[in-house]
Amino acid sequence: MAPPPPSPAQARQLYKALMREARKFSNYNVREYVKRRTVVGFRDHGAASDSEAAAAAYILGKDQLELAKRQAIVYNLYSPGVKSIMDLSS
Amino acid sequence: MQAARSSTLRALHSAVLQHLRVQPAQIGSTWGLFRAISAEAHAQGTCLSRSQVADRVLSVLKSSAKVDPLTVSETASFQNDLQLDTLDQVEIMMAIEDEFALEIPDADADNMKSTKDVIEYVVSHPRAK
Repeated sequence: MAPPPPSPAQARQLYKALMREARKFSNYNVREYVKRRTVVGFRDHGAASDSEAAAAAYILGKDQLELAKRQAIVYNLYSPGVKSIMDLSS
Repeated sequence: MQAARSSTLRALHSAVLQHLRVQPAQIGSTWGLFRAISAEAHAQGTCLSRSQVADRVLSVLKSSAKVDPLTVSETASFQNDLQLDTLDQVEIMMAIEDEFALEIPDADADNMKSTKDVIEYVVSHPRAK
């Protein structure tokens, strides 16, 4: 009953989806964290040669994507009106 | 008297406009003519010149944190010249999408392996801005 490991194309799609969700956050800190965490997560699990570990990592990534989608909406509902200083292009 | 003045103004106006309209075509070369014809389309944002696209693509690559700006060129291959792995390539594709306001489908994004491919793709995309 082991789930199949993801294909490289699926992994790329997940990566892209997570990065797109990161962009939707208006909060600078969370946005940067999501980007950083996806990069770190993919690099850590990308070397996994064990198909079970890869499948588990893919499912984890999918759950994180759903979480990010929900949190993007919630964060943006309660975002402060003032932009973070890091977002100001000077 | 006023009618005469406004008609002379109108004549002057149309003469100036005609002069301005004629000017681009006087460049004479085929490239100038193409520019004149596509000037209308350019105003609507449907045509981008190849050099413009190339400049913007190169600047996107140079400003990316993972790319060494010295290795960037129009024929640079992502994997060999720029030392980018697949995840970095996905990020570059997303930066290109942001720059040109495009949605690049995954199949196309996977096929692009060098700067040249990217430039060709953007130039041939009808909605690139």
